[in-house]
Amino acid sequence: MDDSAKRLLQRLVRRIPTQMLRDTLDKWERLTAKQREFVDFTQSKWTITQELLAVCEERELSVKHIAELEMIYVIGNPNQGMWHTFQLVDAEDDAHSLELVQFKEQFKSHLSELKRNVAVKIKKHTDEAVWIRIAWGDTFSRPNHLKATYVVHYLQTPFVFVSGLLSKHKPLLLQALTLSTRHQGIKDANLSGQKLTAIRDLLMRQYQHVFPTKYPSPLAERNRSVSSFVHLDPHIENEQAEASANRHRMAGEAFGNGMLPALQSAVYKLETKFRDLTNETMTERDKPLRCVVKFSSPNILESLRHCASTGIASTPVTPLLSSIPLKGRNYFVITDNAPSASSQMCQTQD
Amino acid sequence: MSLLNPFNKRPGLNTATILLVENEEQFQQSLANVLVEETAVTVNVRLAKTLPIPTKNDESRPRIDLVVFIINLTLDKSVKSAKASLKYLDPGYFLGKVCFMVTNARQALGCTGRLDAVRQLAVSLHCPLLFAEDQTPEGVTSSARRLLTILKVASGLVPNTTALYLSNLTRCAMPPDIDQPSFD
Repeated sequence: MDDSAKRLLQRLVRRIPTQMLRDTLDKWERLTAKQREFVDFTQSKWTITQELLAVCEERELSVKHIAELEMIYVIGNPNQGMWHTFQLVDAEDDAHSLELVQFKEQFKSHLSELKRNVAVKIKKHTDEAVWIRIAWGDTFSRPNHLKATYVVHYLQTPFVFVSGLLSKHKPLLLQALTLSTRHQGIKDANLSGQKLTAIRDLLMRQYQHVFPTKYPSPLAERNRSVSSFVHLDPHIENEQAEASANRHRMAGEAFGNGMLPALQSAVYKLETKFRDLTNETMTERDKPLRCVVKFSSPNILESLRHCASTGIASTPVTPLLSSIPLKGRNYFVITDNAPSASSQMCQTQD
Repeated sequence: MSLLNPFNKRPGLNTATILLVENEEQFQQSLANVLVEETAVTVNVRLAKTLPIPTKNDESRPRIDLVVFIINLTLDKSVKSAKASLKYLDPGYFLGKVCFMVTNARQALGCTGRLDAVRQLAVSLHCPLLFAEDQTPEGVTSSARRLLTILKVASGLVPNTTALYLSNLTRCAMPPDIDQPSFD
């Protein structure tokens, strides 16, 4: 085993928690059962590394195989690192009938044309996602497996999720993706986060929606308002039950019901003029006040829905907040609408 | 603007009605569940977020004997919303039929300004100020028991006592050393 394979293996063993290491090695299937039993997982990580190195030497595994192990780990635990989303635009006619084998060949050939010495591994996951692992090298150096880029793409959708991409490799990757998926362009979708599952569910709208209806339920039952407001005792009555039921309904319409994808931050970049009637000096300035507002929470959609349903945020929910799930973005740039000084409207722009 | 009036309806037989006003709508739920368990008297509980309450329920609503404002001392909005709701009550309520219940006083030790403000409010209106603990079931039960004691008097179910007599005993008074620097 050469140096880079050893280093990659050491890095991996340090990074993966011991319990998951055992399962990942089982899934890898490159070691025999006897070899797997030989490795004692109750020891310290250093000892485990030495034992694994010995076992891999026996099997004469190369860096490609270790890269496979890393890929299996990342596919099983995608909620790490920072994922950014891109959207493919202008599909050509045959984009909808693209199939996996064709995509794989095209992507590999395009990428190697653009840059020599790249190591690409493509794998199809059970849930229709295509995972691509890219180790970048150049004409003078071998591919660097320690800093690999991961790309997730769902065929026939225009969305691509990328993690670990350096800016010098970005145009190459984007061009290869565009050509191999038969589109004409690709743009930044302004959605990023740590949890891949959350941003994927948000973008593909895989959560429970509430559709606005004029007549919510045909029979007016006593307990039809929200579950937390159910009073089984007839002596308890909520005076403002209708108002709170309305708030809940509008919050649900804006954000959805049930479990929401665990998006963790939303960033608003403001380039609007300062507006405060009590502060003359600041309001007089012509140039916009640049300011960035960041919301973060373990589950930001859940928090915003709670704000709306308890009345902290006014309902109907402002489009600034409701466009997070509606447009599937969490980075917004807000500018003033130019025309007249009296109409002070904000609008979101790309 | 229709104010909530304490004397414009006839009382029910062996019945007492309490109105819990709370901006956060949390503590009032658990309090209500404990209050209705009282067996000696039929207790009706009405819940609201703020006053005024919608007038369309006026006919079906029984006479409200006690109005309790639940204030969470850790939130500024709670205090402001309670103050704003006060003006929708008929002055007749302030003769012993209004009570302030305050939660999270321990957490709010850092910002005593809010607690002092609520105390000033209770003193100026001659109302009792109760401190409650809302996180444990024992806390909820003990607050409910105290409210029930005041409620029974306010609805006239205790002989030889009226709400006005009781309020002389329970009303909040400013501590005498409020103008002197406190020991922190």
